[in-house]
Amino acid sequence: MTRKRPPQLRVIGHDAQGEAEGDGARTRELDWSILMARAQDGEGAAYLRLLEQITPYLRSRCARNLHDPRDVEDTVQDILLTLHAVRRTYDPSRPFAPWLLGIANRRAFDRLRRRMRDDAREAPLTEEHHSAVSESAAAERGVDAERLTRAIRDLPPAQQEAVRLLKLEERTLKEAATITGMSTASLKMATHRALRRLRDLLREGSGP
Amino acid sequence: MDTADLIRALAANARPVRRLRPPLLRAALWLMLAAAILGLLTVSHGLRPRLAERMSDPAFATSLIASALTGVLAAISAFMLSLPDRSRAWILLPAPALAVWLANIGYQCFAGWVSLPPGAVTVEAASSCVATLVLTSLPLSLVLLAMLRHAAALRPFSVVLAGSLAVSAVTSTALSLFHPLDATVIVLGWNLGTAVLFTGLAALFGRGPGRGSPR
Repeated sequence: MTRKRPPQLRVIGHDAQGEAEGDGARTRELDWSILMARAQDGEGAAYLRLLEQITPYLRSRCARNLHDPRDVEDTVQDILLTLHAVRRTYDPSRPFAPWLLGIANRRAFDRLRRRMRDDAREAPLTEEHHSAVSESAAAERGVDAERLTRAIRDLPPAQQEAVRLLKLEERTLKEAATITGMSTASLKMATHRALRRLRDLLREGSGP
Repeated sequence: MDTADLIRALAANARPVRRLRPPLLRAALWLMLAAAILGLLTVSHGLRPRLAERMSDPAFATSLIASALTGVLAAISAFMLSLPDRSRAWILLPAPALAVWLANIGYQCFAGWVSLPPGAVTVEAASSCVATLVLTSLPLSLVLLAMLRHAAALRPFSVVLAGSLAVSAVTSTALSLFHPLDATVIVLGWNLGTAVLFTGLAALFGRGPGRGSPR
């Protein structure tokens, strides 16, 4: 079977040029391979170092294909989680970079596919959407106010008066008593009945 | 969740893991299990009547050898594909043997070839045929599933494809050895079911890492 050439590991932000940098990448890959082997043996410190070292590398790789920084960060985390889940599949006698990139490409591809699907389904929110939403909200508020006014109009005159003075105009009981000539006790009773009636009327109106 | 926090959490959770053995060795182990199952079936069941006679028929012999070879190659392919650093071209490994096998089945259908002795299709024969089918492919599928479960997060579909092909081919070989009934349709139907099982489980486990990621 033909095997693809193992992907070259590059210094981040540069194209690897010259012997020195190539050597650097090779040394680093060897380091990673050793760290991963120790991580497989349960060394948390080696694992921490490895993950901290590969994260910037993964981030720059993902940034090539994904443009939204949040997508990049999510993908990096996906890759780290997958790496953790399948860490027993790494064979320390083989190079580390192709193994890492095999996982990374898989997750980046998944993210890219999801991004394309979402983009096809979603449209960006424009000013028009905004005004449409607030208009309809205002319209709903208008409808509510009108229903309440109509319901109040259906009450008996004494109750209507009590609600208007005490609830809508927010006067005190004493003022209301002076205006209507009713006792404060009967005003309270009228308000109480009015509110109960209004609640029933509005509930009927909105339906079950 | 912040990436730095995630890294710390993962590192804190770095329990020792047993490394997987090389893929060829693991494929060989699985194939030995398949051979052992076929051996047990031979002991309990006996080979089909007049097997030696049938083997002298080149079409039958080719089909049997091609299906056995497909099983071996597909198993190797599945174990290779399950590793992140192996080429996806491994999926093509069983293709030649599969082509020969399928061409042979096709030729048999075309030629109206019937492998039954007259009167052999009884309910009893068919049910024991299904028993062989289940006894062979169920344990093989489950063991393969357990051995390849880590691939669910990597290349679920290629691995499922190669894995169910391996199980189908071994099962079909078993049926050719034990039953005078040409049960290609049953084998294909059953193994489609196996593939669905694999895919379902792969989808179940394969979403793991994605689901765990914070939005």
